[in-house]
Amino acid sequence: MSIRILVVDDEPDFIETMVKRFTFRKMPVTAAPSGIAALKLLEAEPFDVVIMDVRMPGKDGIETLKEIKKRYPLTEVIMLTGHASVESGMRGMSLGAYDYVLKPVDFDELLEKVRKAHERKLLNEGRNAPR
Amino acid sequence: MKAETPRADPASAAGEPASPPAGKNRPLWLHLVGLPGVTAVAVLSAMVLPIPLAVILALFTASLAAWSAAALASRIRTSEQERCSLDAQLVQSQKLAAIGEMSAGIAHEINNPMAIIAQESDWMTHLMSQPQVTPENLAELRDSLAEIVRQVDRCKAITHNLLNFSRKMDPILQQEHLERIMEDMVLLVEKEAKLQGVSIVRDYDPELAAIQTDVPLLRQVVLNLLLNAFQAIPGQGTITVSTRPAGADRVAIAVADTGAGILPENMSKIFNPFFTTKPPGVGTGLGLSMCHGIVDRLGGAITVESEPGRGAKFTVTLPR
Amino acid sequence: MPDPIRVLVVDDEDRFRTTLVKLLGAQGLFAEAASGGEQALALLAEKPFDVVLLDVKMPGESGQEVLPRIKAVAPGVEVLILTGHASVDIAAEMIAGGAADYLLKPCPLDELVGCVRAVYDRRKAVGAG
Repeated sequence: MSIRILVVDDEPDFIETMVKRFTFRKMPVTAAPSGIAALKLLEAEPFDVVIMDVRMPGKDGIETLKEIKKRYPLTEVIMLTGHASVESGMRGMSLGAYDYVLKPVDFDELLEKVRKAHERKLLNEGRNAPR
Repeated sequence: MKAETPRADPASAAGEPASPPAGKNRPLWLHLVGLPGVTAVAVLSAMVLPIPLAVILALFTASLAAWSAAALASRIRTSEQERCSLDAQLVQSQKLAAIGEMSAGIAHEINNPMAIIAQESDWMTHLMSQPQVTPENLAELRDSLAEIVRQVDRCKAITHNLLNFSRKMDPILQQEHLERIMEDMVLLVEKEAKLQGVSIVRDYDPELAAIQTDVPLLRQVVLNLLLNAFQAIPGQGTITVSTRPAGADRVAIAVADTGAGILPENMSKIFNPFFTTKPPGVGTGLGLSMCHGIVDRLGGAITVESEPGRGAKFTVTLPR
Repeated sequence: MPDPIRVLVVDDEDRFRTTLVKLLGAQGLFAEAASGGEQALALLAEKPFDVVLLDVKMPGESGQEVLPRIKAVAPGVEVLILTGHASVDIAAEMIAGGAADYLLKPCPLDELVGCVRAVYDRRKAVGAG
């Protein structure tokens, strides 16, 4: 089963690399340049795993994470950050992020995290499903 | 320290002419009521004023009751039938004691930022009552306003933490290696720690098999323990993170620091909500109690050992 | 014009201290601040104060521990407890230990100033009588 992935980052280079790599592995991926754009996309179609940068102009990653978890609690979010901030890590994790990862991140490791995050979402859905 | 014997009779020491001869066996609360009305007004207004506080309290009490009840239910189940009522009484009194302690904690944590907000508003009122608003006054007004916003955020952090605390989250169990769970959090803290002269030593057991646990919840525990360790080290020092098997069916992770350690009298309070030895505004005193709550939900246990001056070590044991 | 009442604010919360000093100054009182017990004792040994506003929960020495030391260094000074910690037991204990009164944060400024003036007047009356 394919995982619907949304990558959110204001750096076009990063997005380009991500899209290339996921596409190479035949995994569908959508990109958004900002938190607002990501929320608009989520409104239109469901995603399983969101990979999002913490620091973005406008609505930052933490604010967007809060919004995503409020509206789509089952969607799992992996936060990426270039600047290690413990404060922000604490906020991110307590707001329900699946992981909070320091950039640069090894793609295979990220892929493994995406799979784990997706597995968690399926487990969560299985539990919530009526029997 | 040479302690001067305090005067035995406060009322006469303060020279209160109208007060009746203050006997030593006058109930303690009378000392308060008997003092100039201010005290009574202050205590009363504190009871009446913070309406949101009442809401938080109610919320918190409810969650606490559920939490303690769950934790203690198993104890009651295993006990002899005739002991049931005795245990229930014990549970009840423990619950009441915990609620009392917690409400005092919440009151303190919220009263302090509220006091600053009140003062900044007073100062702004004072500045605005001046005949002329000078550029300096304007700068001060802006500064006070910014401080109010900061303090509201401080209150918000407290209430939001309480809400997280009370939010019921059933763990979702996934197979994962402990090292993997910990390493991202370690990396996150390591950069900031290094800048302050704190190094992190990894002592992971490479043989340890993956366990079944709630990965993001456990990450929160690890991050909290790391932050706690980091803040306990005043200057340079070391944090050691480790993973170990703990018997046939359990594993243990530990976070040890070379900081100031925990005073013996604080050991029993260390996991209590709102217990903190940090300066005001740094942390809410909820970190370790949250860890305790999460580990409990994961079917594990959290313990601490410390020698004052020689750091502290927090160990979390979890089912495999 | 009478001498202004000299007040020492002892509180570990920076912003609380500094703004309270400004506010008391605007009310015609003379105020200084200390961030903890040691600093307060040093200031009290250095110059005279009439009233000390003392916080209870501070890192290092607590208000309860500092109170007898204040009374030892400056026996004439009046100590008002001003704290966010809502414990009647501690209040009673500190009043038994020589504190003049107990106020709970947040305390309206006019109440606080009124209380400072009240304990000051009471002390002066005792001193004169």
